[in-house]
Amino acid sequence: MKTIKFFTISFILLFTFSCEDDNNIGIDTISITVEDLHAPLEGGQGSPVGASGPFTKFNFENGIQTDSETNWDIAFRGTSIIVNGGESMGTEGEPERNGDGAAYIFEGTMNEMEIVEISLLTEDSQNSYAIPTGSGNGWYTYSGPPNHIISPTPGKILVFRTHDNKYAKVEILSYYLGAPENPDAFTDQSRYYTFNYVYQPNEGATTFD
Amino acid sequence: MSQSVLSQNDSIKNNLDEIIITATKTKRILSSIPLNASIIKKEEIERTSATRLTDVINEELGLMTVSDFGGGEGIQIQGLDSEYTLVLIDNQPLIGRSAGTLDLNRISVGNIKQIEIVRGASSSLYGNEALAGVINIITEEPANGFNADISSSYETHNTIDNNFSLGYKSQKFTSSLFVNTFSSDGYDLDETDELNTVNEFKNITTQLKLGYDLNDNLTISINSRYYNQIIDNIASITLSGKTNITENNINLKMNHKTKKFNTDLEIYFNSFYGDEFLDDQNGIRFSESFYDQTLIKPEIKSIYEISDKNNIIVGIGNRHESLDRTYFDIKPKQNSPFIYFQYDYRPLEKINLLFGGRYDKFDEYKSQISPKFSGIFELDDNNLVKFSTGYGFKAPDFRQLYFNFSNSTIGYSVIGYNVVNDVMSQLIDEGQIVNIVVPLEEFDNSLSPESSFSVNIGFETSFLKNFKFSGNFFNNSTRNLIDYRVIANKTNGQNVFSYYNINEVSTYGVEIETKYKPNNNFKISLGYQLLYAYDLDARKAFDNGEVFARLTPVSPAFRLKKSDYFGLYNRSRHMAIFKINYNNLENKFNSSLRLRYRSKYGLYDSNSNNYLDKYDEFVNGYFTANVSLNKLINQSISLSAGIENIFNYFDRQNISNLSGRIYFLRAKYNLK
Repeated sequence: MKTIKFFTISFILLFTFSCEDDNNIGIDTISITVEDLHAPLEGGQGSPVGASGPFTKFNFENGIQTDSETNWDIAFRGTSIIVNGGESMGTEGEPERNGDGAAYIFEGTMNEMEIVEISLLTEDSQNSYAIPTGSGNGWYTYSGPPNHIISPTPGKILVFRTHDNKYAKVEILSYYLGAPENPDAFTDQSRYYTFNYVYQPNEGATTFD
Repeated sequence: MSQSVLSQNDSIKNNLDEIIITATKTKRILSSIPLNASIIKKEEIERTSATRLTDVINEELGLMTVSDFGGGEGIQIQGLDSEYTLVLIDNQPLIGRSAGTLDLNRISVGNIKQIEIVRGASSSLYGNEALAGVINIITEEPANGFNADISSSYETHNTIDNNFSLGYKSQKFTSSLFVNTFSSDGYDLDETDELNTVNEFKNITTQLKLGYDLNDNLTISINSRYYNQIIDNIASITLSGKTNITENNINLKMNHKTKKFNTDLEIYFNSFYGDEFLDDQNGIRFSESFYDQTLIKPEIKSIYEISDKNNIIVGIGNRHESLDRTYFDIKPKQNSPFIYFQYDYRPLEKINLLFGGRYDKFDEYKSQISPKFSGIFELDDNNLVKFSTGYGFKAPDFRQLYFNFSNSTIGYSVIGYNVVNDVMSQLIDEGQIVNIVVPLEEFDNSLSPESSFSVNIGFETSFLKNFKFSGNFFNNSTRNLIDYRVIANKTNGQNVFSYYNINEVSTYGVEIETKYKPNNNFKISLGYQLLYAYDLDARKAFDNGEVFARLTPVSPAFRLKKSDYFGLYNRSRHMAIFKINYNNLENKFNSSLRLRYRSKYGLYDSNSNNYLDKYDEFVNGYFTANVSLNKLINQSISLSAGIENIFNYFDRQNISNLSGRIYFLRAKYNLK
């Protein structure tokens, strides 16, 4: 295992090598923790409609934020997460979909998410995103008054097909800058994602061993 | 009301004077009834210098008051929420549950003869709301001749309680007047913000009762009560206003009594009006709302003494309710006629059985049949066992049926079940809906009343003459609890909520009480309640391994086990109350010390999995202790002093109704 840190773009790559599984011929899966990926938002909070501003696009293979119009897998804006597949909802600043991206939510722990259920994958559409928006629907829970905290719901693993037909699983850990243990919605800066993911770089492989 | 023949046959132990009405709608000696019931008497209330009903309730085993969002304090009985306990004053129901809770701080205990508590579902006699139990506040009747007393107490936070009562009774005529004023500066547990925990308030209660014996058989009486409270309403530094509550009730009653029949014809009017407003700094109205509820209930009830072994009660009546309030498009009205009976049977001297049932007819939702069966077996002079089973229900309230509310700052909407179709089509027409989550056809059926089936099994045993031990097992299976859920998503990113029947809740546990009287001066009691309170769907979710948590908020999630489910919010597994009374007749002095423990409980889900599990944050368990000293100076003057919450326990984050240590002084003057 080797670790590389890019402080400038603030994420950590953890390459793990696990060669025993025959199913994965070729390259090993990649496990990465991304810290404080900034996903700013203009306009309506909590909903795609009325929101505007550019999405923060992300590429699983490279493990970095990207400005590429085509070479991205998922993108973030506030609490909304989109995939590079399907159709745009048409909100201002929303990128065009030109890949094979799709997603579903697996209920369980990261380790329990072993095989991608292809039939569950859905693409973004004009009416909704593959990762549903709103508290309790997708990846987060909004505590409401008095604390107004957005917390990643435990047991929600986001499963993605990338723009180029590979798979990744994601567990979001924090929505606040520096991933504080006890975030304070009034003082901690929000819209900073910290998440773990495992990427399967082999074409056609649907497991993560 | 006549003394039932049955009660005259009751075996007499130590408490001949403990007569309870609530349990059977007849006068019965407490120790002889086949129900889980208790009485708090005037002497006990006076000894503790309690001023409001909440003070009294919190010192009773198995009962506790819990605060709601609006600051009202309701009662939790056997782990069931405050919405499910029926509260009566002089046998008639109180109304005004604007947010579900009936605030027990509304009730002064200055003229109370006794408080009767029945635990367990009691809709067979009382119908709606008597799901967890019934609390009946019986006010005093004047003694013969003229009598008057006046009392005043002063407490920390500039809390002032004044009572004045005047009574007259002759052979044919009784009358009494009671006036109470209660005011306080409130208090603030959290100095860091601009808001107070409890704002300044003042209220007044008056009660006038008149009775006249027309002849030996016929009595007429009027009982009227008025309550008004004004409380500061402070929402932020810039927004402030007032909240005003006015309650009027009047009961007209005619009683006809013969050797075999005892019949009451009553009509009861109750109105509850509340309004509140907020103004900004410039005095411009920011928001206002009102709540105007009325209840009219005529009822005729007759007790027929068949023989000294059995009697039967039959009652029939109608509840007419209406409500006008902000956020309602219509002014709902409802008539619900009802009929009930109860058969009280004593096949053997030491066995008493009660059968009963009630039918409540509703138009907007399913009519209810509420049966009851209970029994008591006196094994010998010192031992008895009893059981009671019964059904209780709470009808959906007008808010759950007709609400049409959109939050102006955040933008979500709450819609009552019966108006979902109307309001939703309006929202769709206005282009406010992006997605419908629950098909609208689901609202074509009616919402069901929340209901509960309760079982209580208890025993009492006394030994060594001065030692009494009692225990009770209880189980409440509650169905069709009404909750709210998202039914549609709005274009502004917020949700539309409505009500639905979902949860099944089970609460069960044990109450144990020991009373010991070592000599004439001391009385000691210790009570303990063990409580398990579960949402059955939640328990299933844990069982199926569908619930996850994190050790720290940012660590990877793991799956929870069944044993990790803690249960319902705001329920403590353990509760205990220890009391010592000291009474010195020679020196006309008495004092009482009460110690109360409540074990840890959870108020909300702190780890975002929507359930209360053992990895959540809990409110710590705590003790409170109260002491009071009373001295009779002469025939007519008594003085009291004491400390509430001696340990000065408070939790500014989680317990808003515990203000820290309170000192009080009280003086009472009796005119005879």
